[in-house]
Amino acid sequence: MKSRKIFNRISVLRKERNVSRKELAEKIGVNFQTVGYLEREEYNPSLDLAFKISEYFDLPIELIFSAKPLKPLSEEIIELKNKFKGE
Amino acid sequence: MKKQKSINQNRVWISINYLSLIIGVLLFYAVKILHWPLSYLLFEIGILGVFIVSFFKAFIIPKFWKTVHTSLENLDEREVQVVFNALRYAYSIFAIICLVIIYGFAIAKYQPIDVVIAGSLLYLAHSLPASIIGWNEKNISMEDD
Repeated sequence: MKSRKIFNRISVLRKERNVSRKELAEKIGVNFQTVGYLEREEYNPSLDLAFKISEYFDLPIELIFSAKPLKPLSEEIIELKNKFKGE
Repeated sequence: MKKQKSINQNRVWISINYLSLIIGVLLFYAVKILHWPLSYLLFEIGILGVFIVSFFKAFIIPKFWKTVHTSLENLDEREVQVVFNALRYAYSIFAIICLVIIYGFAIAKYQPIDVVIAGSLLYLAHSLPASIIGWNEKNISMEDD
């Protein structure tokens, strides 16, 4: 069974927080090469690993992972702001 | 670019390792069966040197050997997946190679299989999964950060 590609923001979040691949790998309990595979979206993480990553970045899982290509975080925040304004 | 270079390097060392093994075995049988001069066996020392160096460069230094031979508890979920896939392919390849050698010896009437072939097959059984991982894995260094 071929699974669909899961997009993520790990690379952006990691660079934004100035964390190295090795540090992130140690925190989420994987090899640093696995972080590279995740960032390049060449490997889909398990649900457990996805939760570990979301807990590490302290962000909702849907903000980090998506089945559709992700927009830049700034764009998404503006959209969310407009959505709340509309409500 | 760096990733591609790393993959190519792994592949080159893996190829050298298996080539040295094949040449070593062929030379041994050339002396044994075709009655080449015994002095030709001195080349085996050089071939053995190449084999050992390429073994370290292909499997030990990039840690592919360790990845395959370590307990699953020491691997993360992606590595477990990679090792399982490598073992799956290695099993098929090894079975085919074994059958070819066994039938080859039976047809050529050079039975029974001696210690050189048995040792080479043992090495192949242990190294094939690691070489499959080495052939496909991107061995990215930490400078990629």
